[in-house]
Amino acid sequence: MPHAPRWTGTRSYLADEALQTTVNVAVALGRPLLVKGEPGTGKTLLAHAIADGLDLPLLTWHVKSTTRASDGLYLYDTVARLNDSRFGDRDVRDIEQYIKLGPLGLAFDQSIPERRVVLLIDEVDKADLEFPNDLLHELDAMRFRVAETGREVVAQARPIVVITSNAEKELPDAFLRRCVFHYIEFPDEALLGRICRVHHPHVEDALLAATLRRFLQVRSIPDLKKRPSTSELIDWIAALKLAGVAVEKIEQGVPLAGVLMKHETDSQRAARLRAPAARG
Amino acid sequence: MFVGFHTMLRTTGVPVGLGEWLTLLQALDDGAIGPSLKEFYTAARAVACRDEADFDRFDLAFSAYFQDAALPANVRQPLQEWLDAPIERPLLSPEELAALEHLDLEQLKALYAERLLEQQERHEGGSRWIGTGGTSPFGQGGSHPTGMRVGEGAGGRGQAIASARARRFRNYRSDVVLDTRAMAVAIRKLRRLERSSRRLELDLPETIDRTAKNAGDIEIVERPERRNQARVVLLLDSGGSMDPHARVVEAFFSALKRGGGLREVEVGYFHNCVYSELYTDMAMLERKPLEKWTKSVPPATHLVVVGDAWMAPRELFAGFGAIEYGMLDPTPGIDRLQELAAAYRSRAWLNPIPDNYWGEPTIAAVGNLFPMFPLTVEGMTAAVSTLLGKGDKRQRPLPARAAQ
Repeated sequence: MPHAPRWTGTRSYLADEALQTTVNVAVALGRPLLVKGEPGTGKTLLAHAIADGLDLPLLTWHVKSTTRASDGLYLYDTVARLNDSRFGDRDVRDIEQYIKLGPLGLAFDQSIPERRVVLLIDEVDKADLEFPNDLLHELDAMRFRVAETGREVVAQARPIVVITSNAEKELPDAFLRRCVFHYIEFPDEALLGRICRVHHPHVEDALLAATLRRFLQVRSIPDLKKRPSTSELIDWIAALKLAGVAVEKIEQGVPLAGVLMKHETDSQRAARLRAPAARG
Repeated sequence: MFVGFHTMLRTTGVPVGLGEWLTLLQALDDGAIGPSLKEFYTAARAVACRDEADFDRFDLAFSAYFQDAALPANVRQPLQEWLDAPIERPLLSPEELAALEHLDLEQLKALYAERLLEQQERHEGGSRWIGTGGTSPFGQGGSHPTGMRVGEGAGGRGQAIASARARRFRNYRSDVVLDTRAMAVAIRKLRRLERSSRRLELDLPETIDRTAKNAGDIEIVERPERRNQARVVLLLDSGGSMDPHARVVEAFFSALKRGGGLREVEVGYFHNCVYSELYTDMAMLERKPLEKWTKSVPPATHLVVVGDAWMAPRELFAGFGAIEYGMLDPTPGIDRLQELAAAYRSRAWLNPIPDNYWGEPTIAAVGNLFPMFPLTVEGMTAAVSTLLGKGDKRQRPLPARAAQ
């Protein structure tokens, strides 16, 4: 098996060691990587970062509640064909032109031995209960047949499949068994600082430190409806910079709390954090 | 390779199968996992766990298995020798030596255990620990585990064990596994699809057919979408004896409401037994007479009762049996249940208490009117096939003999 270069995160996506190892194992085994974690910890971005880091093309498939597994393979545009049969100038005997490959189909089709494709299946738990099971066979065999034309779409190299889930629904066991699983933990303070630095390289140290302290304090409020996560923190820093909020303001309260907190009750509780943030 | 670890994982309750394990070994073979315990830890966890709830059990198994085996030989060997030869100990002060003589083996062990625990929880480097742990008292224990813990800090290896032992994922663990998914899958079988929706979809075969007949002039045909027509009337016992089962009832309820994709779920509440009126809210404020529940039941409606059917016999068999204030019904509860049973051809009773208690007189009596099933995933699956008229229709002689 040719050794793919190890993935170590990218300049804008910092990954801890555990994540790096897991990604590399999934890539080497050719197994789908199932990623869970709090919202806003970079599950979706991970696929982008893997594609970036390994310099591979990325295909994305955003799953919705109405998505069916077969949509990912291909769609047969019968209506267009019917229309062409009456009005069009295309040759309706050529069915192939009415077959449109879905993201999974494209990922198979575009995979050539030297160049794998990264496929992101985003929020797999949004779809119907049976959705993941319906994908099992194709993900295992890495091939499928287009019933209308008899053409077989075969992946020359296993695509690197990244699947994200928000745990809205439980996923079937048979599906889980085939995946490599990773739970993105919320980063610790040091990593959080580094992540913020990546996104805001020019923010002053004092502001960053104060923001981080305040942020962690807000996050530690028990029983928040939605705990703010990394993405909210990055947005918050951007907002604070734009609004030109002084460091003292952050030490005295939670300015622009709306960027951090998305629930009315949460904002009210955060607003009570008037006392200066505890230091060190 | 690591067969022992695999067994250990399974005993700890991480549901890792042989297939996944072979996958992991293949990864080791391919060199996808570097030669470090930490990488092995991460990789094994990624392959073996299916849920963050498994992480804690994984950590437990990992630290239990690898605290012995994983210590690199070049660290373990000198340690073992060092522990085996407890003579060279120039650091002991006379006072310490004096104190030591008063400690018997039990005290030593206790102290030793205490220190170990301390070390483990604080997670600090092992150098201090060597200073304390390595000196004579603990040498006597001949304890390999001490050596293990020393190695961890000193060698800078084995961090995986350290982090495994930190058990950061304890909070994600849920010992009470409420598998709503399996329940929802079972409920889904009640589905009865009919084309009576108001939403239309393109009827392709018919369109092609008509178009062909129309000499190629396109004629679009639409038809109603298929919709699930199944309805469920759910009656929940909210009596005090049901409190211990609140979680499983909740799981069932949410599976029915959200996962089942049913057309309608109507919910009623009762206290211990059904009388002349049922409540339509959990707080038991709004009432709806029983005859409204039993009159003109629409087709494809299933009645599911969740309750323990366990009460004082007079609550079920006597007139004015209700123990709640304001519920005055001269008809005995059992007759009311009979009315319900007569109105719903498709009915099932889900009982959260184990079936070896089903010989209790009230449960047995209720079980004669309603096919009774345990409120578990298996029970639900059986209940659903009874509701659909499959499998054995009547489990009538259920309990009576089940418990002696």
